[in-house]
Amino acid sequence: MNIEKAKEIVISAINDALEGKAEITEEMQLIGGESLLDSMKLVEVCLALEDLADEHGFEFDWTSEAAMSKSRGMFRSVTALAEEFASQSEAK
Amino acid sequence: MIIVTGASRGLGQAIAERLIEKGEDVIGLVRSVSGMILDAIECDISDYSSVKNASREVKRMKKPVKAFINAAGVASMNMAVTTDEATVQKLIQTNLVGTIYCCQLFAPIMLRQKHGSFINFSTIAVPLALKGESVYAASKAGVESFSRTFAREMADFNVRVNCIAPGPIRTDLLRGITDAQIEKITSQQVIPKQFQKSDVCDLVELLLDEKAASLSGQVLNVGGV
Repeated sequence: MNIEKAKEIVISAINDALEGKAEITEEMQLIGGESLLDSMKLVEVCLALEDLADEHGFEFDWTSEAAMSKSRGMFRSVTALAEEFASQSEAK
Repeated sequence: MIIVTGASRGLGQAIAERLIEKGEDVIGLVRSVSGMILDAIECDISDYSSVKNASREVKRMKKPVKAFINAAGVASMNMAVTTDEATVQKLIQTNLVGTIYCCQLFAPIMLRQKHGSFINFSTIAVPLALKGESVYAASKAGVESFSRTFAREMADFNVRVNCIAPGPIRTDLLRGITDAQIEKITSQQVIPKQFQKSDVCDLVELLLDEKAASLSGQVLNVGGV
C-alpha cells in the first residue's frame, strides 16, 4: 500500500471518529494536549484501522513500542500513523 | 470465552475448573501446555512477546472474550533483607509486570466488544503489611494500584477491572508455611479463619456475574481487613 492510500484510510477513520466535525490535516497530532481526539476516540480510530487492515489482508498492530512512544511514535501526526499503516501493510 | 493465566495449578487451575463446570469456554495461558487437560496456549506472562503472541492467537479465534483472569503468580516469604536480587526481579516481573502486560495486550479485544471483565490477583498481605512478605506485597500493591487506574481507563468501554486479594490459601505458593504461621495471619482478618480455593472461585463467579456490573476498580479482600 502506498503512503497516499494509507493517508486516505487514516483520515477517513479519524473523520468517522470525529463524526466529520473537524478538519483533518496531515500534521494533526493524534495524542497529547493539541490532539482533537480524546483517548476513547483514539482507540476507536485504532480499532477501525484494525478492521481496514483486515480488509486489505494484513494485521495492524497499534500496541507496538513505536505506537507507545510519544516522541517518535505513530500517533505524533496523521502522516506518521499513515506511514506506520503503510509500512505494516508492506511487511505482511 | 474466559482466559485464565496460571491455569495449570493452584488457584488458576481451581478457577478454570470451576468455570468449566459452570459451562464456560475456558482457555488457559500456561508456561507449558504439556499435560494440560483444558484448552491452553503456551505463554510466559513475564515476557512481553509471549503475551503478545498469545493475544494474537486469541484474537484470531474471533470469539468474544467475556473475562480475563490474571491468576498466575509467584510468591516468596522472606524479609526484604534476606531476599536476593533474582527473587526481587522475578516477583515484580511476574506478579506486577506480567499482570500489566496481560491487561494491556488483551484489553483491545474487550475495547472492541465494549464489554468484558478483568480480574487481577492481589493478596491480603498488602493491607495487613505482613512481616516477611515485603517484596511479594509490594508486587501485589502495584497490581492493586494498576487495577484501580486501569479500571477508570476501561470504564468508558464498559470493561470492568477488579482485584481479589486472598489470604493464605493452601496452594503451592504456601509451601513451607506452617499451620501456626497461617493462623497468625488469618487472626488479623475480619473473619479470622482460613478460606479455601473454592471461596476464591465463588468471588470470581460473583465478579463475572452481571449482578456485579456496578463493581469496578475494587479490591475484594478475602476474609476482610
